[in-house]
Amino acid sequence: MFRPREMKRTLIIGAKQDVEKTIELLHSLEIVHIIDYQPSEAEEPLHLGTPTEKASGVSQNLLKLRSSAQLLMLEPETPSVSEKISEKQIQRDIYLKIQDLELSVLSLTETKKRIEEHYRKIDERIRQLQPFAAMNIPLENYQGYDHVAVFTGYLRDLKKINEHLPKITDEYELFTSDEKDQMIALFIAKSYADDAGKLLSNCGFIEVKLPEGKGLPKQFIEKWTTQQKELSEKLVQTTKDILEFRKRYAEFILASEEYLAIEVQKAEAPVLFGMTDHSFLIDCWIPTDVLQRVKEVLEKEMQGSLYLEEIEVKHEDEPPTLLKNPRPVRRFEYLLELYSLPNYRDIDPSFILSLIFPLFFGLMVGDIGYGILLIFFGVLFMKMFKESEGFSNIGWYIIIAGVFASLFGLFLFGDMFGLPFLPPTGETGGVAYSWSSLLGFHIPIPSVIHKMESLGMTQLLVISVIAGFLHLGLGLLIGVTVERKLNRKHAITKIGLLFVLIALALLIFVMADWTIGQWLRPLKGSAVAPFLWNYFIPFVKAGFSFGGLLIPYVSIIFGVLGIIVVIIATGGFGLIEVLEVTSHLMSYTRLAAICVAKGAMAFAFNMIGLGLILSGNIIIGILGVILLIFMQLMVFSLGALSSGIQAVRLHYVEFFMKFYKGEGIRFNPFRYVRKYTTTK
Amino acid sequence: MAIETGIIAIGAGVAIGSAALATAWAQKTIGAAAVGAAAENEKMFGKGLIYMVLPETIVLFGLVIAFLLWTKM
Repeated sequence: MFRPREMKRTLIIGAKQDVEKTIELLHSLEIVHIIDYQPSEAEEPLHLGTPTEKASGVSQNLLKLRSSAQLLMLEPETPSVSEKISEKQIQRDIYLKIQDLELSVLSLTETKKRIEEHYRKIDERIRQLQPFAAMNIPLENYQGYDHVAVFTGYLRDLKKINEHLPKITDEYELFTSDEKDQMIALFIAKSYADDAGKLLSNCGFIEVKLPEGKGLPKQFIEKWTTQQKELSEKLVQTTKDILEFRKRYAEFILASEEYLAIEVQKAEAPVLFGMTDHSFLIDCWIPTDVLQRVKEVLEKEMQGSLYLEEIEVKHEDEPPTLLKNPRPVRRFEYLLELYSLPNYRDIDPSFILSLIFPLFFGLMVGDIGYGILLIFFGVLFMKMFKESEGFSNIGWYIIIAGVFASLFGLFLFGDMFGLPFLPPTGETGGVAYSWSSLLGFHIPIPSVIHKMESLGMTQLLVISVIAGFLHLGLGLLIGVTVERKLNRKHAITKIGLLFVLIALALLIFVMADWTIGQWLRPLKGSAVAPFLWNYFIPFVKAGFSFGGLLIPYVSIIFGVLGIIVVIIATGGFGLIEVLEVTSHLMSYTRLAAICVAKGAMAFAFNMIGLGLILSGNIIIGILGVILLIFMQLMVFSLGALSSGIQAVRLHYVEFFMKFYKGEGIRFNPFRYVRKYTTTK
Repeated sequence: MAIETGIIAIGAGVAIGSAALATAWAQKTIGAAAVGAAAENEKMFGKGLIYMVLPETIVLFGLVIAFLLWTKM
């Protein structure tokens, strides 16, 4: 759970004629991560392998199939497959079927294309002829004159033409359409054509070219429109045919595409191998716990013709990472991988993340009302984004955080939507609402910590520092265990930093001795009490006063010791890390800051909203309800967003920096995730 | 209310206000660069987020000082 699965590097060596059978076997095992073979001078006879003979044929057929699927606009996600098809069934005449399919698809899509083309041409012609339809002059009458010039087109200023044209000549005839866009046809004696042209252009004339043909434009248009109608009917029919065809062949296409993709994957596998003229070498990672089984299967199926050798994992090797976590924790691997996949030698922090991330998130929200809303939205999120792994995981985080937020709201803060169940004891001042006073009966859920009082805020700050101390301490301890074997120097530095952290924490705890004293009070009279009050507390609190601040001796001892250890291990630069630990510990005060900021915002909005609602005026009251709902949603969304981001940040920055390296290589087994086919 | 209390309150306000401004200024630049990097390479998202939120600690220093002042009011 805390480490990625252990890997063993294994060499598989065999004779060339066995290569296909070996590939088959490895593919069916689905647990071997093959390392891409890099040829080197030192291993002269070994060269990169080449794809097997059938590779090109299979690839070609796959290409054909995919182009058919594309022509049919078949998307792999759309059809739901009733049951997986067995490979044997697919293998039967697959290539003949693909050829038939290709021909049918081509002819269908060709027909569709032809109809569309025809339709488009007619459309174009109608568009050209449309302006002339209104004038009712046969097309042949527009041309073929020796002494008459013809102008056809749109005109903006008909009045001006009617006024000025007679001044040029009276040897003309002007036809106009009655429609709004004012199409004209002007027949005029050729000798006046130039003058008429100038006048026309002054009146906003735009020429429209005469289409070819004979007869009345209206008749043409009628004829073509009928043709178009027929064509569109045909088009609908063809599209239907294609859809029908697609539906009928979808399963076959998807299944055989998958089958061929797998075949191609197998056929091209040798490019990952090292080859000599007569043998092959596969360099691979296999999880240690299944290694024995893999060996047995290979031994049995190949009748001992393969040679397997485990090689010792060297320091510079980078084994792939395969995480193993129980199901609920596995969802948090996504959050971890968003930062970086752990490398093989890292501790896998998914489990810690799955506990502490929602804990911090919940503490910052800390309200039963918002907690329940979080759970609700989390469920909604998971339902809405069922398909997307990332979003459904985020939904899951929100649900768990909601549970923690509700628990904190119920047992620690005793409030719902920023309003406490019981009236606050003191200082908030002015009007103080509570659920008990609003509903008129006593709800016995006390607020152990009042967010809105200075005492409560001090307590929250101390809780934050304690949380930071434990979290950072855990991070440093993990760091020490990881580095112990890899880099002794780093491990010693981390021990030094741990000392500094303890010194800082003790200093802060002594500063907050009154608050912590309150929490320890219930322990009085218990078995540990004599030890605590007679030895431990006086020991920790012994110190000197510096500017009104009590500096405990223990703190100084730890601090100085820590700094010396760090400087010895890493030199002067180590001091930067000391400063870093200090700022990281301070960084956890964001837990208190966001908790209080959100509480204060909700408190202020509640004062405004409830003030309006209880004002006695119905209209203002209704406005108050709307306003309050809106403001509460704002507090909720802002609070949830910032709490989530800050909880992530405390892990990514403060926690992970203490031990986590990341940048692992994903374990990528030689296999294909089958959706439509089975080997059975 | 004594004038000292008022001055302390102003001091607390300045402490957190100026720290918040400094954080915002730092985050503005880093945020723009981080989004750019993440747009080019999605793997940079995690790193980008870390750089982006680093300056937030500054505002928390302001908060702690403001709180220490507040307890003196």
